[in-house]
Amino acid sequence: MIEYKNVLTVCPYCGCGCNFYLQVLDGNLVGVLPSKTDITSQGKLCIKGWNASDFVDNKDRLTKPLIKKEGKLVEISWDKALDIIVNKFKEYSPDEIAVLSSAKCTNEENYLMMKFARSILKTNNVDHCARLCHASTVVGLGKTFGSGAMTNSIREFENADCIFIIGSNTTEQHPLISRYVLRAKEKGARLIIADPRRIPLTRFADCHLRQRPGTDVALLNGMMNIILNEKIEDKNFIQNYTENFEELKAIVKKYTPHVVEKITGIPDNLLIKAARMYAEANSASLIYSMGITQHTTGVDNVVSCANLAMLTGNVGRESTGVNPLRGQNNVQGACDMGALPNVYSGYQSVSDENIKTKFEKAWNTELSVTPGLTIVEMLNQAETGNIKAMYIMGENPMLSDPDINHVEKSLKKLEFLVVQDIFLTETAQLADMVLPATSYAEKDGTFTATDRRVQRVRKAIEPIGNSKPDWQIICELAEKMGSDEFKYASPSKIMDEIAMVTPIYQGIDYNRIEDIGLQWPCLSKEHTGTPYLHKDKFSRGKGKFFGIEFKDAVELPDNEFPFVLTTGRTIFHYHTGTMTRRTASLNREVPEGYAEMNHKDAERLNISNGEKIYVSSRRGKIEVDVHVGEIVPEGIIFIPFHFSESPANMLTNPAFDPVAKIPELKVCAVKVEKIKI
Amino acid sequence: MIKKVQKLAREYFQSGKVEIIYGLKKHNNKVVPSVFNKEDELKDLVISAKEPLLNICRPSKKNIIRLIEEKYPEAKIGMVVRGCDERILIELSKRKQIKLDNIELIGVACNKEDAIACNCPKPYPVHLDIGTKVDGVIEDKKNKELLNKKLSERLSFWQYQFSKCIKCYGCRNACPLCFCKDCAMEQQEWTKTGEIPPEIPMFHFIRFYHLADRCIDCGECEAACPVDIPLLTISKQIRNDIKDLFDYESGLDAEQESPLLTSLDEVPMKEGESK
Amino acid sequence: MFEPKILGFCCNWCAYAGADLAGINRNQYSTNIRIIRVMCSGTIDPLYIMKAFQNGIDGVFIGGCHIGDCHYQDGNHRAKKRVAVVKRMLGYLGLDPRRVRLEWVSAAEGQKFAKVINDFVAEIKEIGPNPLSRKK
Repeated sequence: MIEYKNVLTVCPYCGCGCNFYLQVLDGNLVGVLPSKTDITSQGKLCIKGWNASDFVDNKDRLTKPLIKKEGKLVEISWDKALDIIVNKFKEYSPDEIAVLSSAKCTNEENYLMMKFARSILKTNNVDHCARLCHASTVVGLGKTFGSGAMTNSIREFENADCIFIIGSNTTEQHPLISRYVLRAKEKGARLIIADPRRIPLTRFADCHLRQRPGTDVALLNGMMNIILNEKIEDKNFIQNYTENFEELKAIVKKYTPHVVEKITGIPDNLLIKAARMYAEANSASLIYSMGITQHTTGVDNVVSCANLAMLTGNVGRESTGVNPLRGQNNVQGACDMGALPNVYSGYQSVSDENIKTKFEKAWNTELSVTPGLTIVEMLNQAETGNIKAMYIMGENPMLSDPDINHVEKSLKKLEFLVVQDIFLTETAQLADMVLPATSYAEKDGTFTATDRRVQRVRKAIEPIGNSKPDWQIICELAEKMGSDEFKYASPSKIMDEIAMVTPIYQGIDYNRIEDIGLQWPCLSKEHTGTPYLHKDKFSRGKGKFFGIEFKDAVELPDNEFPFVLTTGRTIFHYHTGTMTRRTASLNREVPEGYAEMNHKDAERLNISNGEKIYVSSRRGKIEVDVHVGEIVPEGIIFIPFHFSESPANMLTNPAFDPVAKIPELKVCAVKVEKIKI
Repeated sequence: MIKKVQKLAREYFQSGKVEIIYGLKKHNNKVVPSVFNKEDELKDLVISAKEPLLNICRPSKKNIIRLIEEKYPEAKIGMVVRGCDERILIELSKRKQIKLDNIELIGVACNKEDAIACNCPKPYPVHLDIGTKVDGVIEDKKNKELLNKKLSERLSFWQYQFSKCIKCYGCRNACPLCFCKDCAMEQQEWTKTGEIPPEIPMFHFIRFYHLADRCIDCGECEAACPVDIPLLTISKQIRNDIKDLFDYESGLDAEQESPLLTSLDEVPMKEGESK
Repeated sequence: MFEPKILGFCCNWCAYAGADLAGINRNQYSTNIRIIRVMCSGTIDPLYIMKAFQNGIDGVFIGGCHIGDCHYQDGNHRAKKRVAVVKRMLGYLGLDPRRVRLEWVSAAEGQKFAKVINDFVAEIKEIGPNPLSRKK
């Protein structure tokens, strides 16, 4: 008998949530076949999606548990490994231990990880990489709208008549979303882009605003000033659906186009053009991403976006909204599942007594009401010795977190570090114990895409080597630690428990999402999901305006470090490159790291294209090839963070937003030097 | 008509003519290629427009039939082929990418709706078992429009279209005849790597030229393009040009040699073209 | 004044020798052309032609042996067919197909070589610069 099957699953790379089939012949992965009936991708994929099966059986896959003996990692059996971990975990008090969950792992696994941390390790020190990307979104949209997620759906962009993209290189980060932006443009929509760099989409923009990095609040306040001045705000919407408008009006009054030009560098006539385009459209969608969130004023930036949308009545209708594009395949899900220090799943507050009682009943345990630490705080406290042990699942802070030297120091200071991953990442190399987990192709579960759609991930092949699905590992650990609450026959049962305790996922079960995913809030077994939020009223009742004053980034260029470093991505690689740098096609496109520099700066410094240069900040120094061109404006250096041999995060600033605790990865000061032979 | 196809497929099983049938299966409103091992599985067998059967699996660069042939050299494979599938098999066989000896074809003609949906010029295989031949879509509107434009207008049109390209390689990955392990589109020597949009029009020219004598007009390239570049119009134009220059049509005869791989005596060319 | 940049591929046995002869006989031909010697016109991969245009070349000239005289029997047959296909494709994509010219020039035809090149350069001057070489 010849066994061939097509397994419909979700792409493990970005938050677009494209479905495709993994082709399996006699138990071996042979290829990727797009799904023409898939809602978002419609049979199309980006280069990473097409190559998503390549890294799964790469020779570097971790196949056995490893333990560090005399500075080297040696193989050990599962039983012994788990026993050692359990005994070590028991040595630490809840304040001494921290857990990093994974935005790449399934919803079920994230739920179990936070349940494990809270009910077994008794700690709320749970966080994951959303801290580095959209923590500002959760806080910012939480306080303005009441819900911190993308308000509309990906397909709706096609029918907007104005799309305003600020701080998102959509073509390279979310290629299948940029498809709908282009389709809207071809239908006659206007496209406004605010980005210091000449990103690929600017070729098609009606208006390109090149603001100085970190000046987004001034830009947005400026647009609102123009809109109010020209009386093109949506008075009806403001009156009936919002509150606190007077505070916004008073602050925004000061941000005239002239003032904004001084702060941001955007010519006043261009700002006026953009403001009019956005306000006068019937359905205007605002799209944003890291350029807005990764700042010490990240929350302020997000709030300003929300302000702008509410001012013009562009929330709560189809093809409008404020749309943060979530990066990872399941970062939305990881947040939804409460892998965060201050909330349980469904954003239910840890400090709320009623919520605590509910979970104590569901989990048959006692829980703490004190919110835990965020990633940057965990690493700071690891350095001071307060945090002594960490359990990291599917995350690579050694490349993704700011100020890598500091990350390394902190992780090395830990007494006990367990890393659970599919490859031996830079972080796993520092671990005391390494547990081999399975990739997305070897387990069942669900991912939640950026537009809140919960979709099925299906097992295509058996686990490679002796690796185990993350949910199984967590359950076995929990059982060894003495718990009876982690007995699940399958991920489907885990989702059933999630649905029971998480109102926004209440109507979700594997039967209902067998064909197509459901977008939360899905409040009952009959509810068909929610394409766009805040229809008729906001999650918090009325949308709240906040008057925000502009504050500059904390580390600005000076005489010693005259350039601004901004970091980002390229379409050909993904995040810390764990998967993409093990994929031949992607490596062929971009084999190594690079820094982008404006040709005028290069001329001034006598640097030519392709030369190797040193880029250094107050925190570190890297050697990297330079690409001289016109993508970045003068005074700015851009470095993608995927490459471990020239890690951009060696240079970045760990200073963070006071509320969201998200680091300022988009602005720091660097200097550039030629390498003298 | 699908009942007739299922019946014939069952007969092939029963007579021992085939050990497996390869065709499209409908499951949960989704149509996918499938290997049917037993008669009773055939109730899900369907014919559909716009669903490929012979996609090239990466990274081996072989389609499922070839992978099966290599693993089970003695297996007798039955395959439900539409017009496009047969043409693909013939072109692959010409280039030694597949062995046709052990494949029993069940040729099925597509109906008019499917032909229009795929913009197909010949919606029936030469080896036809079931269904009646319908006329394909001969004239392509987009193509005609473009041919009527001035040279500089055409250039602007294609420059705009190609500038949307995000280098997903979907056109190449989805093409059932792009089987080269060392693809020229990925070689730095021909075109810059690591940039989007890629060099215009060099990047796409590479594929179109290499497929000039191969393309069978299945439309998978255009279906796979995330930015809606009208790739099929270029393929159709090239096929028309090849027909005009050499009186040659790809996918008809496994013994017929490609004009570009032969001398003028073997496959002559229309006069007055090169200058 | 527009001075076109022409790239010429001349086969070793005929066209290149013809170019040499033109030089010896002082048959003047335009300096706009840069010649690359190849063993046979049949070795010219059409991708070279497109790459030349991608990089800003205004015209591509291919010189080979007369049909029947090819040192490798039918190399020039291939050249003839491929150039025909390339011209059609270029035309469809919006580039003037006259920018590619294939000529048979034997080793004894020095004068013809010079005339052909001069003709070609004049034609390209008329057609104008390569639209791809303009910076977007």
